[in-house]
Amino acid sequence: MSTRKLAMLLLMISPLVPHSQAEIKHIEMRVEGMT
Amino acid sequence: MKQHLRRQSGVQKVEVSLLDGKVDVTPKEDGAINPAGLLKATYDSGVSVAELDMTARGKIVKDAAGGLVFQVAPNRAFALVSSDLSKGLETLAGSTTWVTIRGQLYKKPAGKKKPEASPPLKLLILEVPSKE
Repeated sequence: MSTRKLAMLLLMISPLVPHSQAEIKHIEMRVEGMT
Repeated sequence: MKQHLRRQSGVQKVEVSLLDGKVDVTPKEDGAINPAGLLKATYDSGVSVAELDMTARGKIVKDAAGGLVFQVAPNRAFALVSSDLSKGLETLAGSTTWVTIRGQLYKKPAGKKKPEASPPLKLLILEVPSKE
């Protein structure tokens, strides 16, 4: 398989691979005294 | 307060619900968000934080003292409050398993009006939605 075809294949399947990065996804605060 | 929080690094979106006193913060994907900084910025804008919960994906590691730590970025980690849920993750320490945790990073101490200066944020696990 040519490098070009391999690169295209990787590009196509990359959205299907689970995102393996560590990250803070969401923060929720309960606050008091907000007007 | 919304503007104040939006200016913090790593913050993509801030949604405020005046009715139930809830503030939702969506982080950017750059990993620069700092929960302690958000806590301080909220107090600096004159609003008192009763509770701060976080959902994050990371790995369980052990610190030098043998305590469990949740690593959410190469330069950001939170010590885990010992609980049944944290004990259930002990076997994953040092493994390659990715864990998603929803937990409480801060709760206003009862009876105190102002928090201690720069309280160390420890993560009390509320839920472990996934292990991969």
